[in-house]
Amino acid sequence: MLSTEDWWAVWLGLILFFAGLFTIWGTDLVGWMTKIKTWELTSLISDFSWSKLLAPSGKAYKDMHPFLSLLTTYAVFAALVCVGAYFQRLNVKRFFWGFTIIFFITWAVWIIGHEVHFKALKTTQSVMQSEIYGPDVYCTTKVNKCSVEINKALKALNVDITAGQQPDAETAAKAVDEAKHALRLSWGLQLGGGFSYMLALAVGLIIGNLFKGFARFLKEAAKPEWFIKTAIVYLGIKLGLMSMKATGFAVELALAGAAATFVAYLFFWPIVYTLSRKVFKLRRDASAVLSSGISICGVSAAIATAGAIRARPILPVAVSMLIVVFAMVELVVLPTFYSTVAPDQPIVNGAALGMTVKTDGADAAAGAILDELMVANNYRATGVLWESDWILSAAVLTKIWIDVFIGVWAFLLAVIWVYKVERSPGEEHVGASEIWFRFPKFVLGYFIAWFTYVGIAIWFPEAIKAASAGASIVQSPMRKMMFMLTFVAIGVITDFSKLKGMGRLAVLYAIALFAIVAPIAYVAAYIFHRGMMPPVVAG
Amino acid sequence: MKADMEFSLVHDGRQWVVHNDTLVARGDKFETLDADLKRALLETGKFPPGARVMVFMGFDFDTIPTWLRQYHTHYFNRFVTLDL
Repeated sequence: MLSTEDWWAVWLGLILFFAGLFTIWGTDLVGWMTKIKTWELTSLISDFSWSKLLAPSGKAYKDMHPFLSLLTTYAVFAALVCVGAYFQRLNVKRFFWGFTIIFFITWAVWIIGHEVHFKALKTTQSVMQSEIYGPDVYCTTKVNKCSVEINKALKALNVDITAGQQPDAETAAKAVDEAKHALRLSWGLQLGGGFSYMLALAVGLIIGNLFKGFARFLKEAAKPEWFIKTAIVYLGIKLGLMSMKATGFAVELALAGAAATFVAYLFFWPIVYTLSRKVFKLRRDASAVLSSGISICGVSAAIATAGAIRARPILPVAVSMLIVVFAMVELVVLPTFYSTVAPDQPIVNGAALGMTVKTDGADAAAGAILDELMVANNYRATGVLWESDWILSAAVLTKIWIDVFIGVWAFLLAVIWVYKVERSPGEEHVGASEIWFRFPKFVLGYFIAWFTYVGIAIWFPEAIKAASAGASIVQSPMRKMMFMLTFVAIGVITDFSKLKGMGRLAVLYAIALFAIVAPIAYVAAYIFHRGMMPPVVAG
Repeated sequence: MKADMEFSLVHDGRQWVVHNDTLVARGDKFETLDADLKRALLETGKFPPGARVMVFMGFDFDTIPTWLRQYHTHYFNRFVTLDL
């Protein structure tokens, strides 16, 4: 339980999860965590201040210098991951330096991505009533907060929006000037947090493909699966908080994800296996490993299946290289594709992504980009702001069901292979313990975090507000930092030149993924998730 | 399940290899590996011909490339009954 990254995602997740719970008793153990602010270039250049870029998350730490907050964040996370690296028998010295570089690259990219022209969305007033407020009013925080600020300023100017009154253009302009987080810009891309993610991915890919010596040095600490599994444990807290407000929807999402995954499974594997055997004439073991890799949960499934059928280890290694590279292609292509083709199906898109994108890191990363893109796009088009992270949760929940199922699937394959396909005299039995060996342990952390907050909501409703204070820090800035680390790390370990020499396998992989898995996943996601929409942000 | 002997199992690129502190056996398939292990066990003189030996072979996951280990932590183990 101390030697695998899977368990260390649980420990890293739960240590900070429990630290966050201390706000219930009035002690903030996580408020030192840096949160990032939306900033404006000319303002920063004319009068540089770290407080324009960063701030400590907790009220108890409001006097802490923002840069000290960043150093504290680095020190705490570097210490925790280095302890994990030690127990995982990694080269701790190399891991430390690699993590340090990845950490500061990540934060530099994250800060750049928060420049207001890239990130900020227009205010609701600017989207819906541009003839009064002008089309150029942007918000440097959550848009519902800007709406409240503008409406409050209008009330001070004797215009009560809640009573149906509307301001003239001059009064509206004054109110915008009064609102702390609203500002006028000559241009803005309105990409939300998605721009930071895409930038981090691009930087990681540049390092991984153009600076290979540097990438090799960083690889000891480039652990996208560890980072994302930890982030998913933190996401359990977010789902717990969301469940407090919309329990029925969260449960419905989880059950629909399980059903869609089960149905999709019944089609994916046999079709891809048949294609591999009949059309591409692959050997039985190669077909099985590739089918699992493409149709189940990527690298993890390829290794589990290869182990189950006792394949030579070189087979899952080769297939895994393909999976990692194609996961990157999916991560880049699918969020934009789904959000463009089906802008009115946010939850369906999220669930389809969860069933299509292989590896946890790429799936959660793609889910995060899809979430940001769809929320921003829908807001720009309709003025309706969906609550963030529901689309991401749909993507992660379906993926988690797939991960959980791999243990059972590998066990069934092992039984079939050992007793039927390649029966070896004397081979005793396949232990059911294999299911537990292959069970993704980080899922335990995810459910513990989720159900703890549901439990607080049910049995200690008076503690919700205090619990939310700590939980918000762990599930937002900490989780998003782990996502950002994942984006950089996944780029660093993705080397497109590894596709060389994989001709037939690569063609099969591409056909199976885009012509079989993706369409079936979308149909299954549509059947089970159609009509489900994220709650709308109030205010 | 209790094994009489435990071995570490690896694949060297050509053959499956089982080994512990005192014994090494090889085979390109499990059938030939098990046959070679029977021979090696008999040669030790610890077991008489005709003895039934339960052997555990745990795959050495350290032979999987480091970058891959973050995705999965277990390959497979074998329990084999050998009639010497």
